[in-house]
Amino acid sequence: MSVSSRKSLFVENLRKNAMVEMLSKGQRTDGRGLTDFRKLTIKAGTMIKAEGSAQVDLGNTRVIAGVKIAAGAPFPDTPDEGVLIVGAEVLPIASAYAEPGPPDEDTIELARVVDRGVRESHMVDLKQMVIEPGKKVYTVFVDVTVINVDGNLLDATSYAVVTALATTKFKKMTIKEDQVVQLEETSALPVTTIPVSVTVARVGNILFLDPTSEEESIREARLTFATTEGKPCAAQKGGTSGFTPEEVLKALDLAVEKAKTIEPILREAIDSAKKGSAN
Amino acid sequence: MNLIDENGTRIDGRKVDELRPIKMEVGVLKNADGSAYIEWGKNKIVAAVYGPKECHPKHLALADRAVMKCRYHMAPFSVSDRKAPQPSRREIELSKVTREALAPALILEEYPRTAIEIYVEVLTSDGGSRGAGITAAAAALADAGIPMRDLVVACAAGKAQDHLILDLNDEEDKEGQVDLPVALMPNLGEVTLLQMDGILTREEFETAFKMALEGCKKVYEIQREAVMQRYFGESRPINKEA
Amino acid sequence: MPGDLIAEGDFHPLANTYRVGDKVYSLRVGLSEVEGNKVKVIPLTGPYVPKVDDVVVGLVTEVSAFAWTVDINSFFPAFIPAQSVFGRRFSPEKDELAREFDVGDAIVAVVAAFDRSKDPMLSVSGPRLGRVPNGQLLKISPVKVPRLIGRRGSMSKMIEDASGCKLVIGQNGYLIVTGPPEGMVLAAEAIRMVEDQAHTSGLTEKVERFLAEKLGLQPPAAPEGGANEGRTPAGDGQAPEGSASNNSKSLEEEERE
Repeated sequence: MSVSSRKSLFVENLRKNAMVEMLSKGQRTDGRGLTDFRKLTIKAGTMIKAEGSAQVDLGNTRVIAGVKIAAGAPFPDTPDEGVLIVGAEVLPIASAYAEPGPPDEDTIELARVVDRGVRESHMVDLKQMVIEPGKKVYTVFVDVTVINVDGNLLDATSYAVVTALATTKFKKMTIKEDQVVQLEETSALPVTTIPVSVTVARVGNILFLDPTSEEESIREARLTFATTEGKPCAAQKGGTSGFTPEEVLKALDLAVEKAKTIEPILREAIDSAKKGSAN
Repeated sequence: MNLIDENGTRIDGRKVDELRPIKMEVGVLKNADGSAYIEWGKNKIVAAVYGPKECHPKHLALADRAVMKCRYHMAPFSVSDRKAPQPSRREIELSKVTREALAPALILEEYPRTAIEIYVEVLTSDGGSRGAGITAAAAALADAGIPMRDLVVACAAGKAQDHLILDLNDEEDKEGQVDLPVALMPNLGEVTLLQMDGILTREEFETAFKMALEGCKKVYEIQREAVMQRYFGESRPINKEA
Repeated sequence: MPGDLIAEGDFHPLANTYRVGDKVYSLRVGLSEVEGNKVKVIPLTGPYVPKVDDVVVGLVTEVSAFAWTVDINSFFPAFIPAQSVFGRRFSPEKDELAREFDVGDAIVAVVAAFDRSKDPMLSVSGPRLGRVPNGQLLKISPVKVPRLIGRRGSMSKMIEDASGCKLVIGQNGYLIVTGPPEGMVLAAEAIRMVEDQAHTSGLTEKVERFLAEKLGLQPPAAPEGGANEGRTPAGDGQAPEGSASNNSKSLEEEERE
């Protein structure tokens, strides 16, 4: 059951009013403009037991994604495709409001929306992730742990997942005498594109990007777009208010525009990780 | 599978911008404060509202407004492969998304310390069930007499076989390229649900999005009619004049 | 219906309407009413919202040492503190609440206090208040109560006269019917009729006719345009508390939203 009252960061009204007033003037409390992202740092390969990993720091939001690859059965309706599963967990250490336990609806939404951005863009060519057609395929598990919450989990999580997948190195597998055998040969995942997620928040008729937790307390609704090569491939509206149709299109344009500056940061992190491991 | 043939006809005989047949009835459950039943294509969904009522557990109650509790649930027999009754991740996400689609319409401050419970039960699912569920739930809320700024109505557009289409059925949803469900408050013109999976160009997005909005407006006529039928026993054209 | 545009321009939104810019929209399913520049909607469905001084019929659902809990068909249960019945000298060891009102009893009470931060409090001190010893409890949708009462009590009186029963109608939609068994059946049917057709015009007439037919009497001659119908939206200033007498005007003049 989805319940509307949930514990979240408490922000006093004085602060809320100040934020809204500044936003109406095109400013944020940390000096950013409406479409500025906070400092985005991405480090790939830090989780050595994982086949792929990435840590993303977006302002104070910290997220780690890890990729584990196993052999498994394909889904019945896609026997010639590998399987990709994205999961997420907000650790109790991440905020005063996070409790241990199964993922709540926000976390499930987080995992599913990020998954959609990756899946619908065909970032990983799952048709190349087959060990024995119809019987055994590679199952790519991407698990995200949120270490610190300060807003915009959707984008931070997406960047972590994308970077982790793009820098994954795994030992290939084959079937020998009905057993799955791991080979010495390593491979990267067949990556075709780098999808970029950008979340647009709205308060009043102001649209702004990359909200902090504080800013999320005043935002009325959000619209996340994942784009690949300037084309939207996934979208999700959240929040208990709405958008006018014009705002929807404007948000899409903002997301496409911003992706142009975010993508190079992702590629940079991916490339430097590849260079580093090549030594 | 050929979803659309050379003449632009879809597998169920529809044109690319045609809605499936929709039937709605409001006030179908005796015990619920408000209810609505919808048949949308092969979808069969019943929505019920209980409330405003005392909020249990009490610690969830809010001092200044009603709490919305919303559940989207699929019956085990609603799909070809039996679905286990426990809530799946998809149902959990759809419960949230349904609540967030309806919340903008409700004046929750009217009933502090209470709960408004909304149940969407999918009896048969065939593509677009979340939209049908939201449309029925909004009618059920109106039936319960809960003050609303506007009704909420939903419809999906998408892309299959390189054609932009309106109102995807199950096959089109599964085999198609893009699914774009949208919910709208029709008189206020505010979009309260928007999701998308699949790749569209910027222009295609705009076209499909507008197609979905137009579809919403057509569904609104049916939804409105169903509510009017329940309360006034006869049909009436939408009157925009004061 | 919710979201319907009722008026545009310099209008003042009253009950169940709201304003955005110069447009007034409806918040509920109901009948809209425009009086001068005031707009309101009379809902056809919805919960009972307790109002101080409302007379309600309630059902005792719990008895504790200090209070009775009463179901008044609203979204909170109501309470009668023991002190209000037993007085200041009330003592839980000596005074047994269940002896006054027990679980399952029907009572007629007045809403003594209610605001959105507390559960409603009832009082049974007053004439014609207290436990209902016999009769039948009926439930109708609370928003239909004004129609059932009628202008200056005319509808309920008509039903009382025809059935030989006494009607105690709570603003909360619960009502007590007492009288001879056949009368109670007739009254119940008439009440159902009012509830089902509350939104229609000529209802008083239809009920009158129905009652007359049931009693085997000559139905009254249909008056020109109906004695109670056809009033202008300006309404009747003498309407009793809660009675939506304006409902009985002709529907061509009203807008149904």
